[in-house]
Amino acid sequence: MSGAILSVSGLKKCYGSLEVLKDINLEIGMGEVVCVIGPSGSGKSTMLRCLNMLELPDGGRIELHGNEVFGGGKPKNLDVLRQEVGMVFQSFNLFPHMSARENVSIAQTRVRGRKKKEADERSVELLEEVGLGEKVDEYPDRLSGGQQQRVAIARALAMDPEVMLFDEVTSALDPELVKGVLDVIKGLAKTGMTLVIVTHEMNFAREVSDRVIFMDQGYIVEQGKPDDVLGNPSEARTQKFLGLVLAR
Amino acid sequence: MEQLFNLYFDFGFMAEHFDEVLAGFWVTIKLSLVGGFFSLIWGLILSVLRQLPGRVFAPVRWVTIGYIDALRGIPLLLVILGLSAGLATLASEGTIPREIGIPQWLGEEDLFWYGVMALTLTYGAYMAEVYRSGIEAVPRGQMEAARSLGMSHGQSMRFVIVPQAVRKVIPPLLNDFIALMKDTALISVIGLVETVQVGSDLYSTFFIPSGYTLGAFFFLLVTIPLARLVDWQIKKQDEKFQRGIP
Repeated sequence: MSGAILSVSGLKKCYGSLEVLKDINLEIGMGEVVCVIGPSGSGKSTMLRCLNMLELPDGGRIELHGNEVFGGGKPKNLDVLRQEVGMVFQSFNLFPHMSARENVSIAQTRVRGRKKKEADERSVELLEEVGLGEKVDEYPDRLSGGQQQRVAIARALAMDPEVMLFDEVTSALDPELVKGVLDVIKGLAKTGMTLVIVTHEMNFAREVSDRVIFMDQGYIVEQGKPDDVLGNPSEARTQKFLGLVLAR
Repeated sequence: MEQLFNLYFDFGFMAEHFDEVLAGFWVTIKLSLVGGFFSLIWGLILSVLRQLPGRVFAPVRWVTIGYIDALRGIPLLLVILGLSAGLATLASEGTIPREIGIPQWLGEEDLFWYGVMALTLTYGAYMAEVYRSGIEAVPRGQMEAARSLGMSHGQSMRFVIVPQAVRKVIPPLLNDFIALMKDTALISVIGLVETVQVGSDLYSTFFIPSGYTLGAFFFLLVTIPLARLVDWQIKKQDEKFQRGIP
């Protein structure tokens, strides 16, 4: 680990009187693969969405490479943050009026300022990497959920982000399509990219991550090596949650 | 009964004055197209202003909402009368340049442009609400995905949200266009010689209302196909979303 790429301290988020994140302190190291697990409503997705300011935190501090991107109740350098931090959503959110290639190209040309030809070449390259070389000209409604999600991953990768956030990206997929998406993420983990993954796939978390974080009721309850947290949890709440999840 | 029929359906009279009514209807068409075009653009601008995010733009949002509420609540007839009177008076007093107060752009007379302005002001407000419903119907995740890629709010609206919203609102916009076309008739009140004014002139000269009937036919010739087009568009969209449900 060569220093923290993202560091979060005292992060808070409320929806009205409901405190979703109470006091989150977290450091993500360069090249680290972190999986976040926990019961629904524990604040996993909210934390992830705060990391690139899709939800505005109500307090705390977030630093990217030591530069403050949120502090004193205000976001700073929002565009820089979002360019460096890619996000993949549970519901894919592909742009339905654009082909797979255009989906991957649009931010490259509009945000990164790449030439259209250069962006398109990169898009085709990335779509080939996620196994969709045949589908570059298809529109989202002609792709399966798994294929759409892989286009969404290629779209985020096209910005060359330093960190990728995955928000329950296989939860909306049919079981037989999950593996293809997880394989793409495993491939990314091997390249040394920094990944933060909110997931319900425990076996995947054990296999891919350097660190597993268990969240409950707005707190990080426990974190550590995957074999420790998943195989031999020390907190009662973690034990209870894993008992329920792994008993299936 | 037969007398009544002959009064309204005097085909000889219609044939005799066909060219005059057609010329009037041509003005109606031009008014509708030019007014409709500017309304589409003005409505889109208003709806985007209304959706500007953040506290900084709150005053812009309030002014826009105020404008839309006001123009939807004032009769178009009043807007036509007020606007033409105001501009003509200000121009003749020299408060505003004559080219603006009494416009003669593109070879069309000032009355035509007063009509276009009034239609744009009012129908822009109606269409802004239609666009807004379209923008709000685009799932929230689309904006999130665009922003997460580093696009600004403006870029996200331009490349992601508005293109999807416009597709969704084509049928209601066409409906508004039909209404706009019929409302061009109100502009006859300031003396513009369009379809209704021609019928009215014919009636006051010959006391035969068949000119009105012919004008009505011309309207139907355009509005009925447009209404069918709206239905077809709606059906096409429904099929896209309800594939597989008989």
